[in-house]
Amino acid sequence: MMSVENMSQLFAKLNDLKKVFSYGERLIPVIHSLGEFMKETVPLLENINKSIAESTSKIPRASNQIQSVTSATELATTEILDLVDVLNADLDSIQKCTSDCLEKEKDKEDFLRSLIPNLQKENAKAFVEDFLEKNRLSSNLNSVVDRIKKMKDDTNSITLSLQVQDITSQQLATVNHLIESVQDKLASLIEDFDNTNINDSNDKINLPEGATFDPNARYSKSSANQNEADTIFNQSMQTASQAEIDKLFN
Amino acid sequence: MGLKFLIVDDSQTMRRIVVNSLKNLGYDDFVEAGDGKEALVKLSSDESLNFVITDWNMPVLSGLELIKAIRSDEKMGKIPVLMVTTRGVKDDIIEALKAKVNNYVVKPFTPAILREKIDAILASNGGSN
Repeated sequence: MMSVENMSQLFAKLNDLKKVFSYGERLIPVIHSLGEFMKETVPLLENINKSIAESTSKIPRASNQIQSVTSATELATTEILDLVDVLNADLDSIQKCTSDCLEKEKDKEDFLRSLIPNLQKENAKAFVEDFLEKNRLSSNLNSVVDRIKKMKDDTNSITLSLQVQDITSQQLATVNHLIESVQDKLASLIEDFDNTNINDSNDKINLPEGATFDPNARYSKSSANQNEADTIFNQSMQTASQAEIDKLFN
Repeated sequence: MGLKFLIVDDSQTMRRIVVNSLKNLGYDDFVEAGDGKEALVKLSSDESLNFVITDWNMPVLSGLELIKAIRSDEKMGKIPVLMVTTRGVKDDIIEALKAKVNNYVVKPFTPAILREKIDAILASNGGSN
């Protein structure tokens, strides 16, 4: 026969059970709304996943376009350099021609002057001087020589400015490297989500093999970068030399 | 003996720019290489090469590795090397110096800077080259 104590324990347990049921009753709407939330969230997550997959698949195209920009600028730079070389060759030939003309002009002048004592004519000197004055080309030729020199300096400046191609290609390579890293991250995210291997797709980033670049490359015509490098180089060289001397004496 | 330059850069554009600048400075003997490995092959096969101008960032073998390889070689260990690179940060310069580069030019360079550094290297080498 059950004792009073056992009965009260049973009632206490039943009471606990009742509490569990009433808690469960309160929990049912929460679970229900959680289910509803999941129902709404799953398509949303699928949409996000689809968007990421679509964006990721577009990355190789963007990266390859950047690569084609690098190739196109390299080709254009080569064409400009070819033209500059032709221009320089032409200028060299004009410069040589002009120098020859100047030399001949001087020879002509010297020859005419040498004739003066031999001419049996009155005012021969004045006549020759007048002729030379009226037919003198040397000042024009000198001006042409100056212009040629300036044009050569300009073509050299064009050549030097083309260093921008090397520097921008390194900057674009840095961007491509970042794009590749983002694609790798997104691809692993998608793989975790639905086991799709995005790297199996046909669109792949085609970066040149073994490409190296300076992520901090920048084009600046200021001499500040070189001055800074010189300071560091000279200071470090002095420190190194001192260290070598110390090593010898210790 | 006149200077015979080995110009090492993976960018054909840069090699041409360096060559053009050297021509304007009065030099006319050049050999080109697209990376450090090719440069080492050319240095080994042509003993008349007596001045190296190299970029840093190159595939296969970088400029820094090229300098280390040159310095560790008994035959070509004393060939002057001028680094011409975009890398202008302190750590890089010190690293190049540790590899025993003779001088350092930051891109974009001017012919005046190139002349200054070549002259400085030749002067410190006692004009032996």
